Amino acid sequence: MAEKMKCPKCGADLPANAPSGLCPQCLMKAGMNNSGKDKKAGPSELSSADTTSATPPGGFEPLEPKELAEKFPQLEIIELLGHGGMGAVYKARQKQLDRLVALKILPPEVGQNPAFAERFMREARSLAKLNHPEIVTVYDFGHTEDGLYYFLMEFVDGTDLRRIIQAGEITSDQALAIVPKICEALHYAHKKGIVHRDIKPENILLDAEGNVKIADFGLARLLDKPTSAYTLTQSGQRMGTPHYMAPEQVEHPKKVDHRADIYSLGVVFYEMLTGELPIGRFAPPSKKVHVDVRLDEIVLHTLEKEPELRYQHANEIKTDVETVAGKDQGANVSHKRQARYHPSTSAEAC
Amino acid sequence: MQDKNQRNSISAGKPRFATTHWSVVSAAGKSSSPQQKQALETLCRSYWFPLYAYLRQRGYDTHQAEDLTQAFFGHILEKKDLQTADPKYGKFRSFLLVRLKYFLSDQRDRARAKKRGGDRKILSLSIQNAEGQYALEPAIQLSPEQLFEKSWALTVLERTMSRLEDEMAQKKKRNLFDCLKVYLTTDKDVIPYQDMTTELGMTEGSVRVAVHRLRRRYRKLLRDEIAQTVGGVDQVDEEMESLFAALAY
Repeated sequence: MAEKMKCPKCGADLPANAPSGLCPQCLMKAGMNNSGKDKKAGPSELSSADTTSATPPGGFEPLEPKELAEKFPQLEIIELLGHGGMGAVYKARQKQLDRLVALKILPPEVGQNPAFAERFMREARSLAKLNHPEIVTVYDFGHTEDGLYYFLMEFVDGTDLRRIIQAGEITSDQALAIVPKICEALHYAHKKGIVHRDIKPENILLDAEGNVKIADFGLARLLDKPTSAYTLTQSGQRMGTPHYMAPEQVEHPKKVDHRADIYSLGVVFYEMLTGELPIGRFAPPSKKVHVDVRLDEIVLHTLEKEPELRYQHANEIKTDVETVAGKDQGANVSHKRQARYHPSTSAEAC
Repeated sequence: MQDKNQRNSISAGKPRFATTHWSVVSAAGKSSSPQQKQALETLCRSYWFPLYAYLRQRGYDTHQAEDLTQAFFGHILEKKDLQTADPKYGKFRSFLLVRLKYFLSDQRDRARAKKRGGDRKILSLSIQNAEGQYALEPAIQLSPEQLFEKSWALTVLERTMSRLEDEMAQKKKRNLFDCLKVYLTTDKDVIPYQDMTTELGMTEGSVRVAVHRLRRRYRKLLRDEIAQTVGGVDQVDEEMESLFAALAY
């Protein structure tokens, strides 16, 4: 075997049959960028990129803070935090309130769709009604005179779960503390009929006090980008993968319900415990790392391929995780199911 | 990769990248004309490998998979199977996989028919490197369907890149393509344009413009390629997302 080449963009091993020696996933993603309905070649390919700078594969060229400041006189734009297919996020300060905020600018092309304005107002209103300590609060939303759509949000001074996992700094105890928090937030949103659709470590923020905050609720639906192909974090741009998506979300992106979030949470949970993604014929967490064997059942139950076989509500996961994490050593993890996991059936979960 | 042209090649004398839209072929239904049949054959010749990979993954050996692939396409072309105007066949790849499954389940009857003297037509394909390609897939953990979808996505990308490469070569810009193709998946922050100026004898600004044009052309060709295999241009984005997901298997 020849030595493995890596994609300079996403760092994945290049397969031997990589088209023209390029990373297939990045190559497909490059085609998806600002896809819109791009029958209009040329200038539609994003005005700012036309002559002076080429469009980066990750999305559009975000405006410089100085350029943006003209459009938001009430804000002091401090710096660009990150950008990707779902827009760009800036750290800013509300001058009157002297409060730090995160300003998310959606990709400019969304405004070109006449139907978007109405959808944006409708969806943004319901997102702004989410009021939960573990969900990033939306303070305001709207569009500028020249059609840039934005959200003004709570600024989370911290990091995201991706960075913590990558640094190998997460312990199973921390994972068991974080997951119930995510469950609370999901359960709250699900009761209001809002599905996140893009739960992944990049969207789970942790502030300096260790509080969990879920970002980008409902944004995937709003932007009609149902995959994790587009990732935006407050810490920078990163190539996403569909590994966090429930099987039904891959097959029928427009027909998912809240149980897709439960599956995605299962992937994140598995990754937090093992440092790996549950791909193919994956082993239960306790076979890979030293964790309570009762966690296997919880994790694998969230990763059931069929939504009907999964946990039906996020708060059930919270209860089971807290049972394992608590003092209740003798308690059995949940109810109706017993040892549902069979490697052969889970192999196609992804 | 040295065989990618072989893999995508079709019979001598026919263009490598004839544009054929599945939507047009499938819309013909029962009344398919010779031209539409020819168009279907062109599509089949472009996308046979994913079916071969599917068959291998289902446990058929090399020769069986080759024979079945060719026989299946022969069957499709012979049987006018396009009568199935069911919406679930909206994509060419869905149509092929569903029909292939029917075809396989019918194999016992076919074998009997063959013994009685009946036979079937085959579609002759440049299939000699199929096993080499199949061996490149780290396919142990994939279901046959997953491998089919992943192979399909790779075939789409390969055809797109081959076409782009051909176009550039025709414009005597082969070296430019070789140097700049990496920017289809990365950007100047990872590999500065400055690195290319000496090799290409171009200014940094010219490299930037060339990269921009290459990306734009690539996107156009990729969308065109996918548009050929779905029911309409409005399905291109959805199909692209499905293919992206399949590449992660």
